[in-house]
Amino acid sequence: MGPIDWRLAVKGLAGFIVGLALWLMLSPLYDRAIATGAEKVMRVFETPKVTRLVPMPDGSIRVDRSDFDPRSPRPGIRVSDLTFNFALLTALFAVSRRTFSDRNIGGFFAASAILALTHIVATIARVMSIYVAKLGAWSRVTYSDFDRNVWGIADHGYRLVFMYAFAFGLWFLFRDTASVAPAGAKAKTKRRKK
Amino acid sequence: MQRQQVLFLVKFFGILVAAYLFIAWSPVNDRVIVPFTQVIAEGSGAVLRAIGEQVAVTGTIIRSSRFGVNVNNGCNGVEAMLILLASILAFPASMKARIAGLALGAIAVQLLNAVRIVSLYLLGVYQPRLFEIFHTAVWQIVIILAAIVFFLFWSTRVGSDRLATRG
Repeated sequence: MGPIDWRLAVKGLAGFIVGLALWLMLSPLYDRAIATGAEKVMRVFETPKVTRLVPMPDGSIRVDRSDFDPRSPRPGIRVSDLTFNFALLTALFAVSRRTFSDRNIGGFFAASAILALTHIVATIARVMSIYVAKLGAWSRVTYSDFDRNVWGIADHGYRLVFMYAFAFGLWFLFRDTASVAPAGAKAKTKRRKK
Repeated sequence: MQRQQVLFLVKFFGILVAAYLFIAWSPVNDRVIVPFTQVIAEGSGAVLRAIGEQVAVTGTIIRSSRFGVNVNNGCNGVEAMLILLASILAFPASMKARIAGLALGAIAVQLLNAVRIVSLYLLGVYQPRLFEIFHTAVWQIVIILAAIVFFLFWSTRVGSDRLATRG
């Protein structure tokens, strides 16, 4: 496959570590913001507006419904399980010949903003996957098998593979023009010179 | 953004959706993915035994008296192989180059995945405090990043237009 460009490998590793550190530091605040956004979107489509996503001290989000018996247990979700693809995005943007070019930095912020929107949608899918299948008889009576399939696939698919695919796709769209992986290109050039 | 790059992304997501729905389909999951995951668990268990860990493998579970890991979907490398499959098939290249890329990439992903499972077991035994972060985020990203880097590397070698490296 050709020689590895170690400078790019180090940049990628550094981008990954910075992204992971940022994600770890900002998760408590970011998760709240995402939960608030998801709650607002869900309530737009709800009649009556009953869903509340309540941040808990342990970092999880409690899925509350005002039409449920207050004594019944509430499920919880971890929004951080849906958002760590941010570290993948930072690593990919770091693997660039011009990491700190205006275009690469601007692209990174644009991609991050869109990624945040996918996090809101993913949180909604997570909550809906609980509503349609995890709340016993209420789920069976309130939602159809079609609903269960749609929200189940949306939630599972996002967590298994699409959270990474979105990060990859956004990087591909917004990266700097002289972007990644020149190692192979370098190898070709060298061979041509010979 | 050039037309061919938009086309690449459309093909990439189209193939990925189809491939995901295929492997998520119960008969495929039960008859292909679960047995495949059991083979991965057996292999990782063998590596752990070779380095002196007293583990037993039952199905997809690797267990000892001190710790146990269950190799589930998301920990079997299939997700990275799907990303690799979709990106390689969406990229304009010869069929021979695609087959070679998929074969080499799948082997690379699974070798790295074996390192992931072995290291997660060892973290669970010796550094349980670090297990969760490595399980949830670090290794997931490393495996996917490895698949993407492999694709970018492969695409610069086989692509006539170096789509993956142009803006």
